[in-house]
Amino acid sequence: MAKPVPITGLDPERRLRPNARRILAVRIAEVWSYGPHVTHPGRVRELHDMRIAFKRLRYLLEIFEVGFSSDLEPFIDEVKAMQDLLGDIHDRDVQVPMLHDHLERLAERDAATARALLRETGQVGRRGRAQREIAFERFRAQLDAAGSASERPGIEALLSRRTRERDELYERFLSEWRRLGAEHLRRRLERALGI
Amino acid sequence: MAKAWDVPGLGANAHFRDAAGRIVLTRWREMMSYGPGTLSGEDIEELHAMRVSSRRLRAAMDAFAAAFPSRPFQLRLRVVKEITDTLGAARDLDVAVDGLAALLDEMTPEERVGIEALIAEYRDRRADEAVHIAALLDRLEQEQFGPRFERWVSSATGVVGDGLDTRPPEP
Repeated sequence: MAKPVPITGLDPERRLRPNARRILAVRIAEVWSYGPHVTHPGRVRELHDMRIAFKRLRYLLEIFEVGFSSDLEPFIDEVKAMQDLLGDIHDRDVQVPMLHDHLERLAERDAATARALLRETGQVGRRGRAQREIAFERFRAQLDAAGSASERPGIEALLSRRTRERDELYERFLSEWRRLGAEHLRRRLERALGI
Repeated sequence: MAKAWDVPGLGANAHFRDAAGRIVLTRWREMMSYGPGTLSGEDIEELHAMRVSSRRLRAAMDAFAAAFPSRPFQLRLRVVKEITDTLGAARDLDVAVDGLAALLDEMTPEERVGIEALIAEYRDRRADEAVHIAALLDRLEQEQFGPRFERWVSSATGVVGDGLDTRPPEP
């Protein structure tokens, strides 16, 4: 996670508003510094850091709201919506690799089960064809019972769903980000804060 | 999401240091008010509310860091971060279980097997997280962290905790 840019020049003996302005100016710039990354859907880390930057800005607006006469609620709502959208994208970015790992673990478990069963039934191979077939069917049934074959379809379906959701969420985020740009959100927010 | 508590005595012309004391003390008390409900584990929203409050507290501490002496501030911020992270691990599992359970109806019986196994795994891990939360809150209690935290905020900001009438918002 990106560390927040340190803020200098604060004076705790002064009123809330001038200090808040100084802090908010830095945090607003921080959010918009991620602008060049947003058109790259694979920049997982930068999108996550942008979410954190939105989150910091949102909490600060909520904390300092009391010191400003302008109505900051509409800005807080916009910032929160972007934070939530990026949060949903991040959830998928975490879940998708976890599900891949889960499938890998299931495959390893199956392989270990198969090896154990093969050791147990290893002697069957020397018998006649009919007996081998019976033994093979029994082997397959035991493998299905002990292994993860039955778990895979659900995990694969979930993986495909989460991947599709990630794509859709990213498209929504990009379109929202462009809308905020077209509506000059940053300039309006800075003006409301007297920055 | 649980509403943030109102901060008593905070006005538009507040001084930075005074606002720091009022807000940080209020958020601390708000967060700790959910401790018993979180420990009982009967309603997962109690833990969620405690976690949200802990994030509000962290944000307030970050915002007002300039009002506190640096080193003791970092030590206390670390404890608050530990609270957020510990609750976060449990909350993530609560959300994951809820999300997966909601999907079950949309899945075929064949697909459901894997999702149910995943839910069972998350529930086991969630039970482990409950132990971590209980240990952390018990440690804070043993160390009398709460009263010491309040005294520290008061001494740095001049806001007297006893005179601060903090309370949950009206339902």
